[in-house]
Amino acid sequence: MERVCVIGAGSTKYGKLQDSITDIAVQASVDAIESAGIEPKEIQAGYISNVFGIADKQVHLGPVIMSNLGIPEVPSLSIESACGSGSVSFREAYANVAAGFYDAVLATGVEKVTHTGTEWTTTYFSYCSDFFYEGGAGASFPGLFASIARAYLAEFKATEEDLALVAVKNHDNGLLNPKAHLRKKITVDDVMKSAVVASPLKLYDCCPFSDGASAVIICNEKFAKAHTKNYIQVIGSGRGGSPAALQGREHLTTIPSTKIAAQAAYKMAGLTPKDIDFAEVHDCFTIAELVDTEDLGFFEKGKAVDAVRQGMTKLNGAIPINPSGGLKSKGHPIGATGIGQIAEVFDQLTGKAGERTVKDAKIGLTHNFGATGASCAVHIFKSV
Amino acid sequence: MQAAQFIYSKVYNLAAKEEFISTIKSGKILARKCTKCGYLHLATTYFCQNCGNKGFENALIEGKGTVVTYTIITVPPAGYEKYAPYAWVVMKLDGANLRISGFMQNIKSPADLPLGTKARIAGYDERGILIEKL
Repeated sequence: MERVCVIGAGSTKYGKLQDSITDIAVQASVDAIESAGIEPKEIQAGYISNVFGIADKQVHLGPVIMSNLGIPEVPSLSIESACGSGSVSFREAYANVAAGFYDAVLATGVEKVTHTGTEWTTTYFSYCSDFFYEGGAGASFPGLFASIARAYLAEFKATEEDLALVAVKNHDNGLLNPKAHLRKKITVDDVMKSAVVASPLKLYDCCPFSDGASAVIICNEKFAKAHTKNYIQVIGSGRGGSPAALQGREHLTTIPSTKIAAQAAYKMAGLTPKDIDFAEVHDCFTIAELVDTEDLGFFEKGKAVDAVRQGMTKLNGAIPINPSGGLKSKGHPIGATGIGQIAEVFDQLTGKAGERTVKDAKIGLTHNFGATGASCAVHIFKSV
Repeated sequence: MQAAQFIYSKVYNLAAKEEFISTIKSGKILARKCTKCGYLHLATTYFCQNCGNKGFENALIEGKGTVVTYTIITVPPAGYEKYAPYAWVVMKLDGANLRISGFMQNIKSPADLPLGTKARIAGYDERGILIEKL
């Protein structure tokens, strides 16, 4: 297998964007190409992650993006894995470069949904669940994670205020990220007083619906060295699955796909959770960050609450989680999120993260899943 | 069209979902027990999750159990506006290592539904599988 590197990254701002889905996808792609210092003609394939292109009247995004980049002859494909689309797409790009099919490829993730309104997004996102048992019985996505939260709070004697601490921390980080959707300092009190969306989760426990695009350039080591000194290596890549419906899982407070993907990624990298300097994890709701950081092995089961209370996951803590602000504050354009996490790790490990830089970080991990973690990908990166 | 549907359903035994729903309507759950390892699945599973076997025998389970988690939805998806607030509930079935989830009407606050509340399958309609407190 070829050693695989990321040599460039770009993102639009996340939030409510005016431009079309194509325009924002192309903008992020151009930024990634320029960040890598390559010519578009050096790209041999495009991996496009998106879920609801239909909402902005554009599916089959690959050829449209490639045409806009002046490389219509380059093959591309679209990948949908709900909110995990970006990292799943990255994994396919990684595998093809590792196998030697391509020297350099583009992975672009994009979503444009905010113009559709809350009812449309709530309804269409629910189609990502195991619909017969979940969305088709009135469960929204906040509702599914709220059900995980209720079980977690009861099992581990945690409180809704503990969940709020995750939101407060991620908003603090997002304030330092110029591209974040929700750049606003909040308090535990603000979270507790926000409107209930799906008990016990309130509005400020939930990530926003966002528009946005992110892109990265993935290549083999020879290509990387020929173009730049400022790149990172992919040292671990793992994927996993879970029973699609929550009811079918052994534990309601553990996401099996995360554990499977993480074990595979750690094994490939020859590392343990203790070796990770920081992580971008899938905090679509505050409860998810607690569950994720336990399933990834940073904390024992039920102990993430103590870690958050002690500030261990803050930017200056023992294991900073979501220095970008996470899905909660940076935003969650679902097809772009997994690529955006990798763009953040690229920025962190190549000295481009500004005020939110994690001090002395050499190894970063990304964790991104689809739906309630029915599908998951974990990647580990190292600075060079 | 009719013939094509018949062949499809015969080959893949897709009638199982209809059978499952009609059983739900009578307050029971049609589970499938693996003939090789005994693992229990909801009827909509076609291969054993535990051993990969394709042979099953029917196991009719009483649709009664305990609420193990739930949420109360105040921002509903389309079609559920007139029912909100309502609960979406995960219930562990009595006497079987199996959970099932569904819609529960008339739950306005967590005080209405402590974890551990006994509940039962109450039917199936446009809201999905219906669960009610015992």
